Amino acid sequence: MTDTQVSRVRMTGISKRYGALQSLDNASLDLKPGEVLGLVGDNGAGKSTISKVLSGAVIPDAGTIEIDGREVAFTSPADARAARIEMVYQDLALCDTIDVAGNLFLGREPKRRIAGVPMLDKKLMHERARDMLSNLGIVIPDTRMKVENLSGGQRQSIAIGRAASFNPSVLIMDEPTAALAVAEVEAVLELIRTVSQRGVSVILITHRLQDLFLVCDRIQVMYEGRNVAERRIEDTNIEDVVNLIVGRKFAARSAGHNREKGVSS
Amino acid sequence: MSSEPNAYASHPPRMREATILDKVVANGGVMSIALFFVACCLFFAVTTDAFLTAPNLLNVIRQSAPLLIVAAAMTFVITTGGIDLSVGSVLALTATLSAAALQAGVPWPLAIVLMLLLGGIVGVIQGYFIAYERIPAFIVTLAGLSVIRGFALLITGGYSIPIEPTSPFVALGRAWVFGIPAPALIAIVILAVAYIAFNETHFGRYVTGVGANAEATRRAGVNTRRITLWVYVLSGMAAAAAGVILSARLGSGSSNAGQGFELDVIAAVVLGGTSLFGGRGSLVGTVLGALTVAVLANGLILSHLSPFFTPIVTGFIILVAIWLNFRLFRGGAKGR
Repeated sequence: MTDTQVSRVRMTGISKRYGALQSLDNASLDLKPGEVLGLVGDNGAGKSTISKVLSGAVIPDAGTIEIDGREVAFTSPADARAARIEMVYQDLALCDTIDVAGNLFLGREPKRRIAGVPMLDKKLMHERARDMLSNLGIVIPDTRMKVENLSGGQRQSIAIGRAASFNPSVLIMDEPTAALAVAEVEAVLELIRTVSQRGVSVILITHRLQDLFLVCDRIQVMYEGRNVAERRIEDTNIEDVVNLIVGRKFAARSAGHNREKGVSS
Repeated sequence: MSSEPNAYASHPPRMREATILDKVVANGGVMSIALFFVACCLFFAVTTDAFLTAPNLLNVIRQSAPLLIVAAAMTFVITTGGIDLSVGSVLALTATLSAAALQAGVPWPLAIVLMLLLGGIVGVIQGYFIAYERIPAFIVTLAGLSVIRGFALLITGGYSIPIEPTSPFVALGRAWVFGIPAPALIAIVILAVAYIAFNETHFGRYVTGVGANAEATRRAGVNTRRITLWVYVLSGMAAAAAGVILSARLGSGSSNAGQGFELDVIAAVVLGGTSLFGGRGSLVGTVLGALTVAVLANGLILSHLSPFFTPIVTGFIILVAIWLNFRLFRGGAKGR
């Protein structure tokens, strides 16, 4: 993680307008290989939008994206996937009426040919789905279960499992811990540490500020579609980050005053 | 959420493996229509002598072939969360045009290919407006229903066009192959292909994905617009095939053919447990739904009841089957 390395991701001058709303205004983002970047900001600050630009789900009006030093132009999520950028969406982006294995492999189902006709290789899908889930410590007894019958935590685990299992080089997680119980949050944080040690760059978007201090190397603060601050994790604290997010001195209890770990989720 | 004090990995399994009952409940739509189908067959088998004879049953399949073929394609359309109201009009247009083409001396294989092509083009046009211009399918295909029927009326002037009974074309509707009527054979082949495509291919998987969560499927890297376009091409071609078979069986092409056909098709698909909201479809259910409607019509006539009872009974069965499906099989368990 030295500064001489070529950035895994370099986004500069990204702008995106939705009608009257300037969602992103000349925003930028830099990410080194194996680095964990915490992306924070109030609702509507543009965190989700900039990460969707990187995952190809949103096409920006202006700006450039470089992956490993090469400029790219994503016109669809398929392009970003081909560049090994995976994202866990806030709404999880699961298909309720498709089974667990089907959701894990959605968009890249293994093929087998019968008389030259490509078909879904369901057997292989279920076998590999079981392996993928157990590698991540996710307990789902039956990969043939439809996702609609799973709990919120299990659904979230599947969304995370899908993004983490296909050898990504960049993993974007938008509120990955929102629906999770405490123990499950720990597992997700552990997963982030594990993949970043393997060299995967991670962007973590979360409102749980204490999580940032457990896994992130660096924090980027966004405000109304712009970058307003960047901090190495060792140079900052929760109070500082809260002030940067709201844009003024904020002496509320959630800023850590009179508390050691004052932020509740 | 549970409040396990242990580490994440040591959660005790909170879910059991799916039991047979779970699977029955999960397929509630198919189960309730299967129940109705068997009940109808038993009822007519007991009350009439003629129902449960091979010639009668084969005749039922022969007559319901157009319905089965279009319902198979409509299952794809409805599973994406769409609808195609234009199939009755496409059927009428291709029935009249195939008769007209044969009269004009076009060789019959070419006429069939042209009709399928026409159905596909209608599907491409409608699918373009639905998938790429984001106009609701109901509106696009309602317009299609009107326009295409209008063309059929305009071309024929309202008269039906006869087909030479000696033309090999009519064999499509009248011939028997290995003791099975040709239309039935065509329908069976199309249904088998549709079943495999729906359940075992990437296309079928993405059709379900588009209906369940189109944005999620798009974000997974699937070209969802192309999938949506294709289902309308399929329904257009299926309606064209049905038009060809119908005109071959009747020996003429009438611009008034297939009035209300789209509603029969949709009824068959919905009866089979396919959700109008998309994401949930069953071809087995569709076949059972279409056959139930066909058996009812046939059985009521054999019972010497007025055939006008058919729509009344069909309507009731639609309501009761869907109600059963909602109350009995899915219970309150269906959460979003």
